[in-house]
Amino acid sequence: MSLTAERLDRIQPSLTIAISTVARRMIAEGKNVISLSQGEPDFDTPRNIKDAAIRALEAGQTKYTDVSGTPELRKAVAEKFARDSGIDYKPEEIIISTGAKQALFNAMLATLNPEDEVIIPSPCWVSYPDIVTLADGKPVLVPCGQNNGFKLRAGDLEAAITPKTRWFMLNNPCNPTGAAYSAAELKPICEVLMRHPQIWVLTDDIYDKLAYGGFRPGTIVAVEPRLKDRTLTVHGVSKSYAMTGWRIGFAGGPVALIKAMDKLQSQSTSNANSIAQAAAVEALTGQQDTVEAMRKVFEQRRDLVVEMMNQAPGMNCSRPDGAFYVYPSIHGCIGKTSAGGRPIKDDEAFALALLAEEGVATVHGAAFCYPGYIRISYANATEDLREACIRIQRFCQGLH
Amino acid sequence: MPGFSQRLSRVQIAASVQMSIKARELRAAGKPVITLTTGEPNFDSPPHAIEAAHQAALRGDTKYPPQDGTRALKEAVQRKFRRDSGLDYALDEIAVSNGGKQCIFNAIMATVNAGDEVVIPVPAWVAYSQTTELCEGVPVLVGCSQNNGFKPRAEDIEAAITPRTKWLILNNPNNPTGACCSAGEIAEIAAVVRRHPHVWVMSDDMYEHLLFDDFRHATFAQVAPDLKDRTLTLSGVSKTYAMTGWRIGFAGGPKPLIRAMVVMQGQGTAGVSTVGQAAAVAALDGPRDGVDAQIEAYRRRRDLAVEMLNRARGITCHRPEGAFYVFPNVAGCLGKTTTGGRTLDTDEDVCLALLEESYVATVHGAAYHMSPYLRISTATADEDLQEGLSRIQIFCEGLQ
Repeated sequence: MSLTAERLDRIQPSLTIAISTVARRMIAEGKNVISLSQGEPDFDTPRNIKDAAIRALEAGQTKYTDVSGTPELRKAVAEKFARDSGIDYKPEEIIISTGAKQALFNAMLATLNPEDEVIIPSPCWVSYPDIVTLADGKPVLVPCGQNNGFKLRAGDLEAAITPKTRWFMLNNPCNPTGAAYSAAELKPICEVLMRHPQIWVLTDDIYDKLAYGGFRPGTIVAVEPRLKDRTLTVHGVSKSYAMTGWRIGFAGGPVALIKAMDKLQSQSTSNANSIAQAAAVEALTGQQDTVEAMRKVFEQRRDLVVEMMNQAPGMNCSRPDGAFYVYPSIHGCIGKTSAGGRPIKDDEAFALALLAEEGVATVHGAAFCYPGYIRISYANATEDLREACIRIQRFCQGLH
Repeated sequence: MPGFSQRLSRVQIAASVQMSIKARELRAAGKPVITLTTGEPNFDSPPHAIEAAHQAALRGDTKYPPQDGTRALKEAVQRKFRRDSGLDYALDEIAVSNGGKQCIFNAIMATVNAGDEVVIPVPAWVAYSQTTELCEGVPVLVGCSQNNGFKPRAEDIEAAITPRTKWLILNNPNNPTGACCSAGEIAEIAAVVRRHPHVWVMSDDMYEHLLFDDFRHATFAQVAPDLKDRTLTLSGVSKTYAMTGWRIGFAGGPKPLIRAMVVMQGQGTAGVSTVGQAAAVAALDGPRDGVDAQIEAYRRRRDLAVEMLNRARGITCHRPEGAFYVFPNVAGCLGKTTTGGRTLDTDEDVCLALLEESYVATVHGAAYHMSPYLRISTATADEDLQEGLSRIQIFCEGLQ
């Protein structure tokens, strides 16, 4: 009998292992490596949030909470959804999880039967298809081309829907492309969904506070309130408040779905860390100035990176409206050979050569189910970012 | 609304959670409820753990942790296994999870296919069978009778093993009975396991330090070192250090199993809250005085509970070796009628009548796969425990 279960064997091994292994080795050897591969803000958690955690520690908030989260945090999340997204959720329509990822995981385990299909626009965060696969479902990837700003066309969504479709998942703004949908852009997508009442809708809005140039991302339920009774709105404090390590995510949705997720969570982990929940209350209800300050810095970095990438021969970088990633095409580099003599046969070869020769770590597009690109995270100190871009330019200039 | 998965219908909200909710509702309605349902210490987390969390937050330890736990915590866990059990685990043989519950969830999700059997001596914590069923596995329950001190007999375990057996789960000391097998009793079980090389053993030692009267804890891999390569040893800080809300559990086991569990966790929640991990390091490495004082309090309360319950008409209560539960037999109450006019046919009837007529919340034995019993938690302040037990005596006195 094999040790591991079939559900685990279905998950592909991580595609980024080769790159992260090389990066770790180079760092251990004392090489100067700039990492543009991380999915978390380089900022520290704001002080007012830490202070709230410390107050909770001193008040002895160290006991089990309700599985679905403390009443205070659920209330704060309800207010957050009302204030930021114009969605009215009652506290019993909200669940707090150990990271937004757990909300997704719970939702899929709670709803997917074998062979159920889940439509995922790609490029996408690889955890979406992996979690679907673990829950015995079948990911159906719908490619979203750079010529449409990496955004899903309503017609392509309609074409992907079958009687087996159980979920449609949207990440707005998107990891890895930074692409974001306005309310007007969501309208035709909602219209398609309205025609298919058997489909659950998941919108992962975790990056929605990180939008630039006055862009405002929309969200499904605000655009089409009639989808509210089958939509799960996922969010968290990790990205907006630089709180990745605290592991607090949350979701709003119809009571029946939230209860089902609560049931699963009660068997897998119970409540999220009680201190981190107290910190999240302060994040959502306290002063928001630091969020805006971080957003402004990200915006400057986005502009810097897009400009410098477009100066690199063979690269073509769109200017996205949100998140802290850009997703330049490297199609113009494929087939060439690097200055160090490495053949660039695909995006992974590009990323590995860039790392080996210039000490810049990125993630190749295949890891987001969409090869021919690399993901660059600009959640990094501006000087390091500038230096990394110079190195990328030099690397591309050396290709022949 | 679109529907739910079949697996969801196999999962229930834990009875202890349901009873706690009922108790809270009655209390909110102004009733003087005494809660003897909770599985958490009524003590505060150790001050040095709180201080460590405080420092971690201040120094910016707020980023994504490694999915298998921080190096500092894994090293502390390594020292703990060596110190308490004489077990040597390499760092890649250790995983940190969101509570001991997630270790169980990860291990079972990562290994159990549809139809695989998991042997569970009962009475047992319901998470074992629930998680097994969630994975379409088959829980095979092995009764451990009161006249054997609620401990499994080796021959009964042998009889339950089939070619489809994947796991044997041991919980020492046991929730809900407080029973704990000695090294000799574990050795008899090990002799059985040795004859069945396809069977893995999960030793859940979450309550390992809560033992009385100089009873010494032994864990499976320590008693049978030759079986260490198919044993998962599981513990955490929740019960020993009164750190339930922090959600920190950990496990040691062979590398392929640990790796599979980490893959599972990578999809379920990713890493564990960083401040919680920092606190756990301090708890594991810190002084034991606070723990010893708590153990003495639990011993005193166990003695009080056993004595008072044995004086209640219709109840007999076994004196357990450890944990903070007693598991009295209520067979003598069945078939009778309460002063409020309720007929008691099952232990659940007893439990509900006790709550609604005497305002004492307990959990019925059926929730732990063995009737007719009640689980009474002694993790309750002395005065409350005494008052709760007096009410149980009066309740029993009124039965006719």
